[in-house]
Amino acid sequence: MDTPKVAPMTSRERVLAALKREPVDRTPLCNPTSVATVELMDLVNAPFPDANRQPELMARLAATGYTELGFDTIMPVFSIIQESAALGCKIQWEQKDNWPTVKMSEPIWETPDDIKVPTDLCTHPDTKCVTDAIKILRKEYGDEVAIVGKTMGPWSLGYHCFGVEPFLLMSLDDPGKTKLCLDRMKEITVEYGLAQIEAGADALTLPDHATGDLVSGEYYERYLRDLHIEMAERLPVPIILHICGRTVDRMEYIAQTGMAAFHFDSKNTPQESMDVVKERISLVGNINNPETLFSKGPDVVREEVYRNLEAGVQLVGPECAIPLQTSIENLKEINRAVRDWHAGYDR
Amino acid sequence: MATTQDIGTRIELVPMDSHCNNITLALYRKDIAGVPGYRVHTYSQHPSAQQRIEDLRQTMLVLGGIEIDGEGFLHFPCAHAHQFAIRRLFLDACKRDPQLPLAPLPLHIFDKKGDCDIFADSLGNGRYAVRAEGNNSGIERRTATIARGLIRLGEMEESAEDANLAAFSCGQAHDALVAQLLVRAPNVRAAMREAEEMASRGQLVAPSAQN
Repeated sequence: MDTPKVAPMTSRERVLAALKREPVDRTPLCNPTSVATVELMDLVNAPFPDANRQPELMARLAATGYTELGFDTIMPVFSIIQESAALGCKIQWEQKDNWPTVKMSEPIWETPDDIKVPTDLCTHPDTKCVTDAIKILRKEYGDEVAIVGKTMGPWSLGYHCFGVEPFLLMSLDDPGKTKLCLDRMKEITVEYGLAQIEAGADALTLPDHATGDLVSGEYYERYLRDLHIEMAERLPVPIILHICGRTVDRMEYIAQTGMAAFHFDSKNTPQESMDVVKERISLVGNINNPETLFSKGPDVVREEVYRNLEAGVQLVGPECAIPLQTSIENLKEINRAVRDWHAGYDR
Repeated sequence: MATTQDIGTRIELVPMDSHCNNITLALYRKDIAGVPGYRVHTYSQHPSAQQRIEDLRQTMLVLGGIEIDGEGFLHFPCAHAHQFAIRRLFLDACKRDPQLPLAPLPLHIFDKKGDCDIFADSLGNGRYAVRAEGNNSGIERRTATIARGLIRLGEMEESAEDANLAAFSCGQAHDALVAQLLVRAPNVRAAMREAEEMASRGQLVAPSAQN
């Protein structure tokens, strides 16, 4: 790979350039999803669940991704349930060592007419916590590091608010009704995204869990591609789409959305993914979580980082929110590996 | 800028310590001059945290028959790693009620399932024989099961001749450690399952994969 010489950049400059596929001084380390661990929670005295509900703690814990691990981004929205809490979903907030989850067995909506965007969507304590944390981070870190927010896409909100099974069955039985639901729920995604941009977010992660295990590429094209095009147009910062699982079958459609980047899973190899998207969208990822970051050692982490760099992946980081028990040593190795790879290349 | 330290490779973790304000406790390994050393560590700044670490070290010294150097690293007198065994020792030390008096455990237990006393006799050169006192039926199978438990928990070697034997590869006795492992050896599967369940917490799954 022939990389032009670029003057040293700040972390923020590096990330924003990579999201536009512009030249960078080195590949940025980017975490579109959480890199919080229980040890980092102890380090800054910001444990879950409080760090998901109090802006000062949320900001403090998120900042460790930059200050301790060497990432070029700070991503304070650890969970995927903040706006669902504001919508009225029942939340299991859990403890320090586990993720908060929506009780999807107790859905709050059944029909399109049930969908109401509450007037306090962005002032509810659990959504305001995020915007306040972004403001704190922007004030503290200025322009040196990229701050990434997160707003859940309508498909994920459908799972949370209708329940996974009812929502999927509706998509099979009544595509028109499903599209109406998605069309209404997308306003939640946009409104919450805009609130985070106003608070100071440089980019937004948009998880929309049309995951490889349950949803086909054809489904993505039918239900979500156009909605995602609209999201990219209405949210005036780079958008990082996140979908877990094997997604090569829909990467062609994803590359057509105009989103800045796709946060891709290790079930897709870096090279095959790059071959599909062909510079139309940046790729970010795809270091494996359960096998590599959680269970293996730094050597294996390094191999995966190199595999992504060799393929030309624009931003390197974990494939998804890392397990809370991941070792700091493995996370720091991502940073070391990226720097070593570039040092080797530059020699 | 970073305040986290290079303290070696983390080999075990207790994410929430119920005996000390839910702080996270970890066991790190660092080899110094070829000798494996282990450090009990927390990043917590809680006022009780450092005392808890010190108490855990003491617990491991007593229950595992290990030593501590001037740098605070724990190691076995034989200078071998015995990494699997020390991980188990760490987990059990964290779990143990700190209010209980601290003393090495005896090399025997009462086995409820076999309804008999089980002994681990040190034969020298790091070899231990598991035997039972009593005439209950199936007692031979029980002693072999417990010997296999020791082998798994302590990463010991089995004997081709005798199913009741377990031996450390270092060839040295570790009576305190074997006594500690003996408590778990009758139900090694439960011990493993418990550790796996603790380790599996905190992995985020997509909404589509949640219940």
